[in-house]
Amino acid sequence: MLEADVEVDRRDFTVAAALRVAPGERLALFGPSGAGKTTVLEVIAGLVVPRRARITLAGRLLTSTEPPVCAVPPWQRRVGLLRQDPGLFPHLSVRDNLRYARKRRSRPGADGELAGLASVLGIDGLLDAMPVRLSGGQAHRVALGRLLLSHCDTLLLDEPYTGLDAGLRRVLTDLVVALVTERAVPAILVAHELAEAQAFADRLAVLDHGTVLQLGTPDEVVLRPASRRVAELVGYSCFVRVPGAAGSVAGIHPERVIAGDQPDRGLVLAGAVTSCRPAGALWETTMRPGGAAGGGGAAGGGAGGRDCGGEVSVTARLPEPRAAGQQLVITAVDPPRFGPDGAALVPGYADLSWERA
Amino acid sequence: MPRGLRYASGSLAVAGAGIIWIALLGPVIALATHLSWSAITSSLSAPGALDPLIISAESGALTLAVLLLLGTPLAWALARGTLPFPRLWEAGVLASLLLPPLVIGLLLVFMVGPFTPIGQWLGALHLSATNTFLALVIAQVYEAAPYYVLGAQAAFGSVDYRLEQQAALLGDTPRQVLRRVTVPLAAPGLAMALAVSWARAMGAFGAVVIVAYHPTGLPMQIWTSLQETGLASALPFALVLLVVALPLPIAAYIWSARARGRRRG
Repeated sequence: MLEADVEVDRRDFTVAAALRVAPGERLALFGPSGAGKTTVLEVIAGLVVPRRARITLAGRLLTSTEPPVCAVPPWQRRVGLLRQDPGLFPHLSVRDNLRYARKRRSRPGADGELAGLASVLGIDGLLDAMPVRLSGGQAHRVALGRLLLSHCDTLLLDEPYTGLDAGLRRVLTDLVVALVTERAVPAILVAHELAEAQAFADRLAVLDHGTVLQLGTPDEVVLRPASRRVAELVGYSCFVRVPGAAGSVAGIHPERVIAGDQPDRGLVLAGAVTSCRPAGALWETTMRPGGAAGGGGAAGGGAGGRDCGGEVSVTARLPEPRAAGQQLVITAVDPPRFGPDGAALVPGYADLSWERA
Repeated sequence: MPRGLRYASGSLAVAGAGIIWIALLGPVIALATHLSWSAITSSLSAPGALDPLIISAESGALTLAVLLLLGTPLAWALARGTLPFPRLWEAGVLASLLLPPLVIGLLLVFMVGPFTPIGQWLGALHLSATNTFLALVIAQVYEAAPYYVLGAQAAFGSVDYRLEQQAALLGDTPRQVLRRVTVPLAAPGLAMALAVSWARAMGAFGAVVIVAYHPTGLPMQIWTSLQETGLASALPFALVLLVVALPLPIAAYIWSARARGRRRG
């Protein structure tokens, strides 16, 4: 079990996070750049001195700023950290990088484990190469192998797959997930891409400006964001006023929109298409709602659907292309609703007729 | 850019570089053209002729040892910013680089001369920091130290601190990190800094002529030969100085270039 309750002063704000990650559990710290995610990992790793903290790992007290004061140095923490930069030692071969952790040398069967992991990572043909000869993807695999061979008590992954292609990210994520489960160690991934965090995590912590805004399963966070800010961070691209509910808005997620008028499933919007472009297998269609549609939750429209004023553009991912100017009716499926203060209105869906059928 | 113009500017650059290179090597070429084998043998075969070489080599080696022992931790601390008021420390190192060696020599007399507190303390230990081997080493250290400290600081500064953090997280104590990561990665730069300071120590003259006229090292031998018997008799010792001082920097340069090349691929 990894328990970390930390407060770190940064130049313009304080990072405060209380996290609890069970053995074998995978937590993703998700948030925009500069939110303080890396700082939390560095405090856990003992690389940054916190203002206040209490960190325990597998029953060992690593950091405590209150009596009994404790600060276990990084080399005794048994914390593994993998950063975006693989951080391979340039003067050592791939094999020596993999062998670097001291405790590995005396471990029986170490060579077999190294060979097996190298094979799984697809770097078994590179063991005698120097790091400078490796591609970015190969270097990341070596760094991951070195981390896994160190047999640390927790894995901290700080945006380790940035710059890698989607296929390799998937392979490495699957491998880490399998090993975290097999070794029953807590793992924390820092990510600023939601898809990466969702693919990895059992639970998601949304961090913004040093504060944990929401902690829950990826589905909870994405489908039921605790605040409008969380909704913005997890991809809700616009917010439309809800008729009859003063000051409250509904969040529209481009990937949670279906074509047609289905008032029993959510908020119906009608308007004119302003643009349409391919997005993978779907078509990213932007429309400007031009009037209230039927169903229980008509919204938007020329009166200014966006709560902040002005005209609202709603982006939806639809299976078919639409011509600009064409009239379109869409249904935002089960949209979350937020009050004037930005907090989620929960329960609140029952008040509306688009309550999930 | 038109091809002809590009060719002309490229040729001009090569010609300019060649002229500067030859000009820099000019004194060495002049030395080679003005020396005869008989002059070398007659100068160097005289009784005690090689004593300055031995003195310079011994004092240079001791100077390097002092720099390694005291300059390396200072350079590391400067590179890692672990010292309070780091600019003040850097200014101290730069001062000895910017002061003319002759002035350093004069000031050393006021600092470690026989009538100063340090000089009297040394006297109580039956040591003296004027016109002794110790004085020679002190003068060489003052002349060579900034070259080593600043070079070593740059070498340590080029090591990515995140690699050191990674090594620590993989279980290395700070001493092990230093041995397994920091020093190996800084080694090419450290070797260059050491080699340059060796050449500087071997050629130290300005401070030496003030505080350590005796015992006579190679630069002093060149000076006294020039003063007493003329230019021709000084040239063989200049050649000896070059032969002793230059191989280490050249070897260090080749080794560090190869080491860097291996890491860069």
